[in-house]
Amino acid sequence: MSTSPRKHKKSSAVSPRISKVSYFGRIKASIVQHVQQLSSSFFELWRTPVATLMTILVLGIALSLPTVFHVMYKNMERVTGQWDSASEVSLFLKKGISEERIQVLINKLGLYENIETVTYISNHQALQEFKDISGFSKALDHLDENPLPAVLVVAPVKSARNAAGSKLLVAKLEREQDIDLVRVDIEWIEKLQAIFYLVVDMVIGIAALLLLSVLLIVSNTIRLNILNQRAEIEVLKLVGATNRFIQLPYIYIGAWYGFLGGVIAWFFSLILVFWLHASVLSLTSIYQVEFEIMSLTFNESIVLVITGAVLGFVASFISVKQYLVQIEPK
Amino acid sequence: MILFEGVSKVYADSQTALSQVDFHLKQKEMAFLTGHSGSGKSTLLKLVSLMERPTTGRIILNGNDISHLKGNDIPYLRRHIGMIFQDHRLLMNRTVLENVGLPLLIEGYNRHEIKKRSLAALDKVGLTGKGNSFPINLSGGEQQRVGIARAIINKPPLLLADEPTGNLDPKLSVEILNLFESLNQSGMSVLIATHDLGLIAKMRYRTLTLREGEMIDDGLLGGRNEY
Repeated sequence: MSTSPRKHKKSSAVSPRISKVSYFGRIKASIVQHVQQLSSSFFELWRTPVATLMTILVLGIALSLPTVFHVMYKNMERVTGQWDSASEVSLFLKKGISEERIQVLINKLGLYENIETVTYISNHQALQEFKDISGFSKALDHLDENPLPAVLVVAPVKSARNAAGSKLLVAKLEREQDIDLVRVDIEWIEKLQAIFYLVVDMVIGIAALLLLSVLLIVSNTIRLNILNQRAEIEVLKLVGATNRFIQLPYIYIGAWYGFLGGVIAWFFSLILVFWLHASVLSLTSIYQVEFEIMSLTFNESIVLVITGAVLGFVASFISVKQYLVQIEPK
Repeated sequence: MILFEGVSKVYADSQTALSQVDFHLKQKEMAFLTGHSGSGKSTLLKLVSLMERPTTGRIILNGNDISHLKGNDIPYLRRHIGMIFQDHRLLMNRTVLENVGLPLLIEGYNRHEIKKRSLAALDKVGLTGKGNSFPINLSGGEQQRVGIARAIINKPPLLLADEPTGNLDPKLSVEILNLFESLNQSGMSVLIATHDLGLIAKMRYRTLTLREGEMIDDGLLGGRNEY
């Protein structure tokens, strides 16, 4: 009956991790298990379709807001890119200047370091353009003389396309005696840009909070799943399942939630772009600007659903590590 | 197989469940563990499967001291012990075949092998043809047999049963105990916790008796076992 303690091996020396299955057999089984769990966890979601749909929709909305912000930002950036033309300076020339003098002025301006290009619009061209745009073609034909001046459109170099650079250039141009009026619209654009960047910062903050909410939603859903299946988890632990084995379906379910939330967000962003398309078209036609609102590219769409899946994975991993480990069979 | 050396268990609320328990269950031996409710039977079984840790003393299982086994190693230890419970602890949303094959799935056996061995285990406990049923559609005795099939499927050297006949009528109880007897004869060590003295008397095996956490008797009630 009595056995000397010295005869017994310490648990640290001999591990009970002796398997009847070969190493490669276990690796193969592990891969098969991952694939099976991935598909079975997807079907597991639809055992409670209403709850799953609700969760996915909430995740979709939470993910769609940053996505929509991104789409808006992308399009706004394209718009501001087109604002470069607004930094052009219009030089209205004095009336009655000869073509030779204008040519001399153009050559002179071409030598300015902070001027990139100079475009000449004669008063005839200006009148024709005005006729085409305004629709007053017939009325304008009755004028005795062309009331419009010739214009030079000056595009500053990139480094001068700001308020300070413009002011410097305008001051220089105003000293030219053949120029009647110098006009530039850079300041309001700068103000608008400042507001735009402020909005972008706010949007980044909101997007970060929404992504955090995705983490919390998935984490809480998985926590509830774990608590609901406590008895099943206990049984699995009793028959020798490791935490790693038990946690796998929960982690995959979390990843599926995130993935499907990403798909919903992608769909919502598509609808939004479709919805805005007509309004943007009518707005841009007023300003005679050719602008088509851009949706998510293929790569961006992939990034969106992968981001959703990764967020879901991380959230469920956190939940599983926190709650599953605590469950022990009684 | 199992050796308890001065094992005590005191729970967090200072309740002493076991006090200085010593016993040795040899390989291929079958024994009953008896005592009133609260005598410490379940605690003793929980200590063997490391659902609880001993407060003092040593537990030697198959020659290894498991008293301080690392938490990560516990699942692997449990794979060498077949456990049977009064409430069966089956997964009601899985078929009988899936329940029985669970230990093999956990160990990484392939599907074909799991199915083959699950059917064989069901055959052994007299549940041939019940593989595709759900536990909820089975009687208490059949559910208990499913639990036994799950416990023996990976051929563990040790079988622990906690009140396995607690919810069964006398006829079914004898059938279940006969099943344990045949498993013991096939080479498994079996330790059965029960308070049904009538049943113990019928089976006539070595009986360990606990009272208020102390081992008060370790005797042979019958002559079938060599101990």
